Amino acid sequence: MISDITLGQFFPGYSVLHKLDPRTKIIIAILSIVAIFFANNPITFLLITIIAVILIWISRISFTVVIRGIKPILLILLFTMILNIFMTTGEGDPLFEFWIIRVYTHGIIRAVFMAWRVILLIVITSMLLTYTTSPISLTDGLESLLLPLKLIGVPVHTFAMMMSIALRFIPTLIEETEKIMNAQKSRGADFSTGSLVNRAKALIPLLIPLIVSSFKRAEELATAMECRCYRGDKNRTKLVKLELRTRDYLCLALSALLLAAIILGAILPYNMPINIAFYDLLFYKI
Amino acid sequence: MNEIIRLENISYIYGKGTPFEKVALDNVCVSFSRGRITGLIGHTGSGKSTLVSLLNGLLKPTEGKVFLDGKDIWENPKEISSVRYRVGLVMQYPEYQLFDETVRNDIGFAPRNLGLSEEEIAGRVNEAAGFVGLPAELLEKSPFDLSGGQKRRVAIAGILAMRPDVLVLDEPAAGLDPRGRRDILGKLGDYVRHSGASVILVSHSMEDMATYCDNVVVMNRGKIYAEGTTDEIFSRADSLSAVGLDVPAVAKIAAELKRRGIDLSGKLYTIDGVRDAILEYVRGGAK
Repeated sequence: MISDITLGQFFPGYSVLHKLDPRTKIIIAILSIVAIFFANNPITFLLITIIAVILIWISRISFTVVIRGIKPILLILLFTMILNIFMTTGEGDPLFEFWIIRVYTHGIIRAVFMAWRVILLIVITSMLLTYTTSPISLTDGLESLLLPLKLIGVPVHTFAMMMSIALRFIPTLIEETEKIMNAQKSRGADFSTGSLVNRAKALIPLLIPLIVSSFKRAEELATAMECRCYRGDKNRTKLVKLELRTRDYLCLALSALLLAAIILGAILPYNMPINIAFYDLLFYKI
Repeated sequence: MNEIIRLENISYIYGKGTPFEKVALDNVCVSFSRGRITGLIGHTGSGKSTLVSLLNGLLKPTEGKVFLDGKDIWENPKEISSVRYRVGLVMQYPEYQLFDETVRNDIGFAPRNLGLSEEEIAGRVNEAAGFVGLPAELLEKSPFDLSGGQKRRVAIAGILAMRPDVLVLDEPAAGLDPRGRRDILGKLGDYVRHSGASVILVSHSMEDMATYCDNVVVMNRGKIYAEGTTDEIFSRADSLSAVGLDVPAVAKIAAELKRRGIDLSGKLYTIDGVRDAILEYVRGGAK
């Protein structure tokens, strides 16, 4: 079912991860992305994987839910892997050769880690942001972080509002899609069999009502907002003011340290002679 | 055989294995009579809409079986679409499903999916449109130019054009004015007499049940709370209010009159029934 897609869904809860200030979580998410792209050997990947597992564990969200959230990107993962396997040229002899295709061991290892990198990216950012932060506090946090841009004339509040509306309506649209799909199935529409062209054609009875109702919904929302005197951020006050607490500072400091450790782990081994056991395995450069 | 659809030990759980797991139906056994209008009533969240989606195979029961004419509809999952043609489901707010350029094409969507000939489709479209009372000149218009009530009729006609053996309507009159309500619901009796089909009418309005249905099934919290003929169900008004359903206003008046020692008898839950009973009482008293 479509509603199995959890990517971009908020799971209410009371864990530390839920309680952190959204700004803290956004900053940590950015640091994590930097760390994930710095990671270039098994030891750094291992460290980030442990962090991801710890994040899932303290959020009290079940592993199955997280895994289900990865499902929709399986195709992208597969594509990334295939590209990496075929495009990477390694040293030494290829693993096997066929026509113009050459597959190297290095390419396969690289493909696995690339896929792993995308998975980590999705898991960590969704753990920090979408799963444990409500859309409203997420946009509040973003707005507050981007506030300096207002000085150069960027309509920060408008952007934040647009984003929160978009996020807010994802589940609604999914629900709507399912409803219309069921209605058309009840009239004998078939979405899952037939040739590609036929299947594309079968989407018309789904897409047109969906677009029509989206426009209607947008208009109704705009009217409702105007009825409540919405005028952007002019004189707008907030019910919940964002406030950084001790736990936020602690988490930020910890993330900065971890980021530093990962960057060191990614750069140092190749610039300095380090002599430890399993060097080749732990620091195999991907 | 007297029953057209039978549900056996049906359970349905939404989002099984997630934090949002919710039991919508819990071991439900119920059957619907052939050639009758059966009302399905219950409080919001009692599982009515879920049950309805099980009838034409939009949802597959977590446990239990659905029998249509004595045959398990999930026996061959690939043929589930043939069940959807036999059990016509009009969903809640069906006007959102309209998509085609003209009303005629939209009503003809289901017959076209059935693979019928163009003449047959045209015949069925005209028949269905006539049945729901759509004037012929509207057939060439865009469905998006119609009023809410007209759209609703087009959507219902879109299902009728399949000529289903069982017509299931989920709140077909929701959001319509009293006249639109009467128009649409009043047609159901005609439809049953005309086509010999069976109708299942979902509603939370007790007045609708009392006026239009032969049998009533009452649901509460994912279970069947009571089932029987309309007379039987409404004679137990107290137990209905226990599950948050209100008996029709006229039934309350009749009950109050009875409590005050005025002896009424007859169909004490429809306006006509109570009127006749009171008239009879007054005439009887005059003698």
